[in-house]
Amino acid sequence: MNAMPSEIGQIVWRHRNVIDVDCFTREELYFLLDQARHMENVMDRPIKKVPVLRGKMAVNLFFENSTRTRVSFELAEKMLSADVVNWSVSGSSHAKGETMRDTAWTLEAMGADIVVMRHGAVGSAQYLASKLKRAIVLNAGDGTHAHPTQALLDLYTAWKHLGNLEGKKIALVGDVLHSRVARSDIIAFKTIGCDVVLSGPPTMMPREIDSLGCRYEKDPRKAVQDADMVYLLRIQKERQQDGLFPSVDEYHRWWGADADLMKYARPGALAMHPGPINRGVEISSEVADGHQSVILEQVRSGVAIRMALLYLCGGGAR
Amino acid sequence: MGKILFKDFKVFNGTEFIDAREVLVDGERVSAIGNSLDSTDAEIIEGYGKILSPGFVDLHAHFRDPGGEWNEDISSGARAGAAGGFTTLVAMPNTKPAISEPSLVEYVLSHGRAAGASRILPSGCVSKNREGKEMAELLKMAEAGAVFFTDDGAPIATSSLFRLALIYTGKDHPRIMEHPEEMSLFKGGQVHEGKVSALSGLKGIPAASEEIDVARGIALARETCGRVHFTHLSSAGALGLIKQAKKEGLDVTCDTTFHHLTLNENAVINSGYNSRYKVNPPLRSKEDQAALWEGMLDGTIDAIVSDHAPWHMDEKDEPFQDAPFGIASLECAAAVIIDFKNKNYPEVPVEMILRKMTSSPASLLTEKWQALGKIEEGSPADITIIDEERTRIVDCSEWNSKARCCPWEGIALTGWPVMTFVEGRKIWQDNEDL
Repeated sequence: MNAMPSEIGQIVWRHRNVIDVDCFTREELYFLLDQARHMENVMDRPIKKVPVLRGKMAVNLFFENSTRTRVSFELAEKMLSADVVNWSVSGSSHAKGETMRDTAWTLEAMGADIVVMRHGAVGSAQYLASKLKRAIVLNAGDGTHAHPTQALLDLYTAWKHLGNLEGKKIALVGDVLHSRVARSDIIAFKTIGCDVVLSGPPTMMPREIDSLGCRYEKDPRKAVQDADMVYLLRIQKERQQDGLFPSVDEYHRWWGADADLMKYARPGALAMHPGPINRGVEISSEVADGHQSVILEQVRSGVAIRMALLYLCGGGAR
Repeated sequence: MGKILFKDFKVFNGTEFIDAREVLVDGERVSAIGNSLDSTDAEIIEGYGKILSPGFVDLHAHFRDPGGEWNEDISSGARAGAAGGFTTLVAMPNTKPAISEPSLVEYVLSHGRAAGASRILPSGCVSKNREGKEMAELLKMAEAGAVFFTDDGAPIATSSLFRLALIYTGKDHPRIMEHPEEMSLFKGGQVHEGKVSALSGLKGIPAASEEIDVARGIALARETCGRVHFTHLSSAGALGLIKQAKKEGLDVTCDTTFHHLTLNENAVINSGYNSRYKVNPPLRSKEDQAALWEGMLDGTIDAIVSDHAPWHMDEKDEPFQDAPFGIASLECAAAVIIDFKNKNYPEVPVEMILRKMTSSPASLLTEKWQALGKIEEGSPADITIIDEERTRIVDCSEWNSKARCCPWEGIALTGWPVMTFVEGRKIWQDNEDL
């Protein structure tokens, strides 16, 4: 376990809502990682429960299916002793005929303290937060825009393995264009001082990559060269129908991570993936199950980092 | 109707400020312009140095009527226009049903007259039911009073229909107004393809979408000797093509909007993706915005329009990606542009802006309306008084429009219209003024 950089001391937590990671300073990120370490200890206790959110009501409002993220939040909430309600709505808010404004007011009327929301529309978490007076909002993914808890758990996983992340290199490979994970990861890893390089089919890259503040290498071997972390993004096969790449086979041949590609990275580099993985598409089984893979640790980190955020934003620390 | 003497005004005649300080209106028309005019029997309005301008002419506004009256209707739109200093508004025909036959043109005209506010002039669709297939009854609609033909909301669906309509209408009939967009590049788009799409992951609408359709329109204008007016221009590239076409002598004209001149994609980003900034064409890059101002100065841009696109809050108050496109601006548009110009382009004379809101757009209307946009002896007394010193905070809750949000909500702007007259009749006055 690595200590924080010495200059990071105790800080005053000023965040209520977490819409994206761009609201955090480097110091706050390290503070959060340290808090997550304490929370992870709770997970190892025989009685996995602390009372910091006792009497608080958390609502997991999911407009898109995401069993992993929802379960991870639910575990975190329960370990902090919150009362948990899962509210799943399939389809868009339009499909169910209620505006999000009404949903927000309903939640508030029911006395929710914490709302965790996953929604398909960019800007939905910000929107929900603007309509709630009392409850806080944690964004569990808004369309292609942001997925802050994923980026924070990635950061936490990397930090546990690599220590001080200043100057470390991360290569993000895959569909950056449609990836909220990539967008939040880029911000998080840059804020903490990493060098971020992107790779993937040019049709799956934003046109103005410069505005994301990172380099792009079409050839993944160049992107992965000397990297400390190789992060594979999930490929959604329906993108092929959109004509963004001609075949899964061609994708895997060029951008899929196999043992060969990992050789270009630093020895001991981490192989990371947000899950669920497509074996044989963006990642081969030899990498996914190999000694460099930290994919399952990421899952565990997710619970710890969500506990830390819930504690800090949800009232435990305030 | 009696006489009104406007005293002590800076008189803008549609082209420039003139020496005279007084304008006399007799009935529906301007009867004299000068100094020390005979005030017998006249109501006197003291200007204390305010600007007297021809009423603003907006070539592009959406009133959702018929078929979407909860968002806006012709009456609320006409009153919104009056409160914004607009005396003539061209209603876009993409309603439900679309305005593509003479009886519907008459519907818009009669409802506009009944509103008793700004003059509403109808436009008609190029294609029947705006389906992009067959040409609509253009001549009958022109006869009924349509002043433009457009399938706005979408480009003219096929180049062959566009070409036929240009040949059919020629030089004698309303101009064709093209909404320049290449639909396969638009598909699913939400924001400008650039920084904002990269940061948000929202699907981008590349500037090339506009450029390609402008290139098509120019080629057809050249081939048919027809007249094409491109509306709501947003990109530097498309503007460059129009500049070139004008130099070549083609009869092409264009407009841009108040919001494209005063906002760019950074506003979308900085708002945290607030739907009030969602509009098509999208707010583009800072460079595109600067190019629009250059186009204003070098004469490429003929008019500034509102593209007023009102929505009830139940529709518009949604997360960015779920909300409809459209900015409602009629009631603050003049202040938005005057305030922005004074802060960012102080060297640009205000008459350059006013020209593109009065005489220049009016000249693109049909023959019958050529006297609009000017203050001359005998011209219709469509007059807007502007107080350059007046500062007001934009408050959509008190709008006449049924829209209740806009990008400038809560912002203090300086330089507002304070009184509006159509044909010598006062249709609006800022109650806190005078």
